[in-house]
Amino acid sequence: MTEAAIRTWGLSRSYGPRNAVTELSLEVPRGEVFGLLGHNGAGKTTTVNLLTTLLEPTGGGAEIEGRSVSDDAANVRRSIGYLPENVQFYDSLTLMENLRFFGRLSGIRKPDARIADVLRFLDFPGHENQRLGTFSKGMRQRVGIAQAILHEPSVLFLDEPTSGLDPEGVRMLRETIIKLNGEFGITVFMNTHLLSEVTRTCTSIGILNHGRLVHHGSLAGTLAAFPEEQSLEEIYFQLDPAMAR
Amino acid sequence: MTDLFTVAGKELLDLRRDRLFVILISFLAVVIFISVAVGAADFRSQLEAYNRYVADLTASGTGVAPAAPQLFPLQLLRGGIEYLEIIGALFAIVLGYGTIAKEKHRGTLQLFLTRPVNRFAFAGGKVAGLSLVWLVVVVILTAVSIGAVVTIGGGTVTATDLARVAITAGFVWFYLVFWTALAVGLTSLSGRLSSALIVALVIWLAFVLVIPQIGDTMDPDNQVPGGLFAALQIQKTDELAVLAQFAGFDGIRNGLEVSSITKHFERLSFALLGIKDAYNQQPIPVVLAAMLPYAITLTAATIASVIFATAATTRRTLQRTQS
Repeated sequence: MTEAAIRTWGLSRSYGPRNAVTELSLEVPRGEVFGLLGHNGAGKTTTVNLLTTLLEPTGGGAEIEGRSVSDDAANVRRSIGYLPENVQFYDSLTLMENLRFFGRLSGIRKPDARIADVLRFLDFPGHENQRLGTFSKGMRQRVGIAQAILHEPSVLFLDEPTSGLDPEGVRMLRETIIKLNGEFGITVFMNTHLLSEVTRTCTSIGILNHGRLVHHGSLAGTLAAFPEEQSLEEIYFQLDPAMAR
Repeated sequence: MTDLFTVAGKELLDLRRDRLFVILISFLAVVIFISVAVGAADFRSQLEAYNRYVADLTASGTGVAPAAPQLFPLQLLRGGIEYLEIIGALFAIVLGYGTIAKEKHRGTLQLFLTRPVNRFAFAGGKVAGLSLVWLVVVVILTAVSIGAVVTIGGGTVTATDLARVAITAGFVWFYLVFWTALAVGLTSLSGRLSSALIVALVIWLAFVLVIPQIGDTMDPDNQVPGGLFAALQIQKTDELAVLAQFAGFDGIRNGLEVSSITKHFERLSFALLGIKDAYNQQPIPVVLAAMLPYAITLTAATIASVIFATAATTRRTLQRTQS
């Protein structure tokens, strides 16, 4: 069994003549919190969509926990949790009804006990019978995390998880990610714009520029490799010329 | 199969709490109720005119009066069937479109596609859930119709009448499921949600409004209230002899009409409810035997539409149109 939770080799995706992701090769070891950085349109969401089986690669390949996203997609789906950017869920359904729905789709026959555990873990009690239409953005994001971890995935994909959150929501999310990674050893792969969050949350990073991976390494290693730079932000601008412009 | 039931169950729960859906269905129930009231008022005015005529005849010493107009309660449902044909089909399209469009718009489709579910679970669950919703709606509308006929229509509904209404309700259900499944399939296939809605509405416009209307306009018997031949005092045998001279024209007119699923539904329901005079008070097996081709076509079209929705709403097409 491979030690890498996520492995890609030459992973590519094009839309007609336009290459969204080009020959992406990377390995994310188990237990890492990996942050994928890049400017808007760099290919971050396409990468997550390829790894979560939402898109078929047009070149190369990828494995999650040693299973091919193309040939063994059903098993990949069993082992991943996913929180898309700005997902809205079903407003007319209560928190319990929403989570029961996604729990059953994830193969949990009687999900109530597991939902109770997850809500306790997320410190989110007392809202079970409240409809999601009344929830704030921060509360919805917690619902998103809850549905993503219900089936105890080994890899969690988060697409811009802090998008639209207030500072309190950002802090809550950061603490949740650290707790999930620390207590359960879940590998986290997240796209984000917030470099400050990457510094506080991630153990390794990758930087995409126009669909190509221009940097990949541990956060500590990256910071050490650029002693002249004061912060990850400065390193990022140096590695991603598109942002520097 | 479990995934299919999960999706269907969620659909039922979601729609039960959808205010817009409840308003649309309540509106449909109200217009059906009103159409029965209008039909009943029309019959009462006919009866009053008849009674005045008979009183005048009696006063003038003339002994022989024509037969009194007779109330056939199920004929009061004509307006309701026409509303279901047009507005019901439109609501069915809105429902089918909405169920897929909302999943795409709010991002829940992406979540669904990353779950380890059967590739037909989404389509099957959606269509099964919506069909069940329509079944409940049809039962409610049937109860409203019968209630309206008995209360404001003043009619007596026999067991045979109830059987006729029940069979008709079954075909109403088929008709509504046809339009909903069509809209589900089109919305799943389309990358742009607005395009799917436009295509569905164009199909509705052509097959529900335009084609049947052209056929109706081409029918000479529709040009005079009460029928051209009746107005001219032409007997049925003579009418058939006249029409035989225009067989080619009538073939084109009929061909146009039967190219519309709506016309199949209308002919079938009008015959079953006795709205079409030729089938009024005929035994149910006789009506069904005469209407068998329409029943088969409506059923086959509904099955085809459900198959289309299921085939169009696979993981692959949803992934393609989602991205």
